[in-house]
Amino acid sequence: MGEEVKKKRRAPDPNSAKYKLGQIAAKAYSDCVEAKARGEKIGWCASNFPVEIPETLGLHVCYPENQAAAIAARGGGERMCSESEGDGYSNDICAYARISLAYMKLKKAPEQDMPQPDFVLCCNNICNCMIKWYENIAKELDIPMIMIDIPFNPDYEVSDAEVEYIEAQFWDAIHQLEDITGKKWSDERFKEVKEISGRSSRAWLKATACAKYVPSPFNGFDLLNHMAVMVTARGKAEAAEAMETLLKEYEENHKTGKSTFRTDEKYRIMFEGIACWPWLRATSTGLKSRGINMVTTIYADAFGFIYDDFKGMCRAYARVPNAMNLELSRDKRIKLCKDNHVEGLLVHTNRSCKLWSGFMAEMSKQIGQACGIPVVSFDGDQADPRNFSEAQYDTRVQGLMEIMEANKEGH
Amino acid sequence: MAIDELLAQFHEIATSPRKQLDKYLAQGKKVVACAPVYTPEEIIHSMGLVPMGVWGAEMEVNEAKKYYPAFICSIMQVVLELGVTGQYKGVSAIVIPSLCDSLKSLGQNWKYAVPDIPFIPMTYPQNRKPAYGVKYTKAMYERVISDLQTATGAQFSGVALANSNRVYNEHNAVMREFAEVAADHAITAAQRNDVFKSAWFMLKEEHTALVKQLIEEMKKTPKDESKVRVVVSGILADSPNLLQIFDKNGLKIVADDVAQESRQYRTDVPDMENSLDALAQKFADMDNCTLLYDRDKKRVGYIVDQAKKHNAVGVIVLMTKFCDPEEFDYVPIKRACEAAGLRHLNIEVDCQMVNYEQAGTMIQAFKEMA
Repeated sequence: MGEEVKKKRRAPDPNSAKYKLGQIAAKAYSDCVEAKARGEKIGWCASNFPVEIPETLGLHVCYPENQAAAIAARGGGERMCSESEGDGYSNDICAYARISLAYMKLKKAPEQDMPQPDFVLCCNNICNCMIKWYENIAKELDIPMIMIDIPFNPDYEVSDAEVEYIEAQFWDAIHQLEDITGKKWSDERFKEVKEISGRSSRAWLKATACAKYVPSPFNGFDLLNHMAVMVTARGKAEAAEAMETLLKEYEENHKTGKSTFRTDEKYRIMFEGIACWPWLRATSTGLKSRGINMVTTIYADAFGFIYDDFKGMCRAYARVPNAMNLELSRDKRIKLCKDNHVEGLLVHTNRSCKLWSGFMAEMSKQIGQACGIPVVSFDGDQADPRNFSEAQYDTRVQGLMEIMEANKEGH
Repeated sequence: MAIDELLAQFHEIATSPRKQLDKYLAQGKKVVACAPVYTPEEIIHSMGLVPMGVWGAEMEVNEAKKYYPAFICSIMQVVLELGVTGQYKGVSAIVIPSLCDSLKSLGQNWKYAVPDIPFIPMTYPQNRKPAYGVKYTKAMYERVISDLQTATGAQFSGVALANSNRVYNEHNAVMREFAEVAADHAITAAQRNDVFKSAWFMLKEEHTALVKQLIEEMKKTPKDESKVRVVVSGILADSPNLLQIFDKNGLKIVADDVAQESRQYRTDVPDMENSLDALAQKFADMDNCTLLYDRDKKRVGYIVDQAKKHNAVGVIVLMTKFCDPEEFDYVPIKRACEAAGLRHLNIEVDCQMVNYEQAGTMIQAFKEMA
């Protein structure tokens, strides 16, 4: 048997955005572990819960969605999903939830551990599935549940009634958390967090907007990793700094003709939906091998949380993906497609996400028509590897490429 | 009227909603469709409009597949299918609440799939109990009123709503009484469902009158104590083929936690000065439903209590396929039943179900459990 020849990996540059962002993501977990060890109460937090609240209060929280994605990307999705199914949870339920409920029970996963919660912070602006998932955790572990309800908005604009409702809940949540943890809200600290969050958001928006350059200075799959920091840590100074570094690198790449998409960029597409974490390599390679760069996703727009005051923050959280009606969701995507010279739309029909997939067919049809681009979808799942077929993905991507090619040739 | 005649009448209405729709349209009335699970019917009724429930039907889906992926619950798929294929022609508007993720997308798809029937959204708060939640419910009711005025030309008045609130409270009370009478007197599972289902296709005052007659007649009959008593839980329990299996196996539904049935009638509009405030308070007071935020899972205890109160041997969950809120609740229900020494069974159902053999075997095994 021949000796395995391993490619030597270059040591990461500690000044690079990739390194810094990776560190922030990892630190979120270690901070929680340390806080728990110090005897502080720590929480599990929904990804689009207003992060400004725990950040201002100085609370440490970790993110079950992020953990589930990490477990799935590292190969543990099926094992954890099956564990929950064995307890009676239907395999129809969101795979993030199934993984999380299994973790609550097992309390360990070699792929990604995190401490058990003393409270849960739930926000349903991404889906109502969050409510049921967190109800079950709160009941099972007998811990407090802070519930912020940001209803799906059927209108294009956020009404004053909705902002008022959300604002009252934010204050209610703050007061409940003060009671639970003994920590106190500070308007001064909120101001700082708001400004840092604004800095991070502006840098993120500008960095992702670098996809306007042809070729793009980055591989869009980068965004799927980097967005975790925007979700969970955008109120932290180190996140703002890392995002500014990312922007600088992308601008620099453009000037020097470099890109993190390390092959010839022949086609540019928008990717719709959450990544198929268990099949990240397959989905990425399927594009890259054909010279298709996924230059943008709705995440590019989604985490631009720029607002002036508390009320503005409430309004911002009502305008996140999955809380918006079809028309606003569509128009935001059309803008991304047009700004970034997108030639095709690849839609992930995500078995785990009923809301994201529920009106995607109509919306993507309208986007395709408005932008004059082909739309192709494939079946997959954000974390359960059993719901994805590499062969189907490959066929669909090939089909998309052929239409984009024909369009280029003017057929 | 004799019991058989009354039950035949309920059956006729429950199985011919189109006929009911045409009847009301012929009377010069305007009809508003009400999607699951809770719509402010009182408001619609008070404006002189006829609210009619749309909870799908047992049928194949074709057109709706252009809008929905396969893993969305069949109730949404069928409601959209019926809309696209013109089965709701004549309806002035549809009110769709957004209490689950699939309902959220139903409204969005509806706008493009069925453009001739206006979509009126009803956004309910999950934090419905604090004052700010009640205020938001009221604001959303006001939006429904405004949209109904635009769609139908009908006008709203607080006095008329106060009257409709009373009509609905009386109907609630009658339906609660019916459920109790049906627990102890002879009625098949299918007949019981006809009584509940027909309520969606009639003006409530008409339905109340008919149910009252039925209750009086049923009370005159001897108690039916020969059956295996069960509680049924789920979104729908209206499949004739499935209900037949209950009857065939001698199972009697003595209480239900079914969204289309008793969940509708548990909570009354309280007596308050402002009728719209009162209606908003009703929503705040509602509990024990999978679609309403329930940190303490009170619904689970409620189901177990219902089973004990009605001397049931167990709980049969009719799980609407792809209904994730109900799927989340199933595990705590199962555990609570086990802890309480109750039998439990989970049967997956949907509007495209054709083969009932497995369900039959499961129910038979449930019945024979020691």
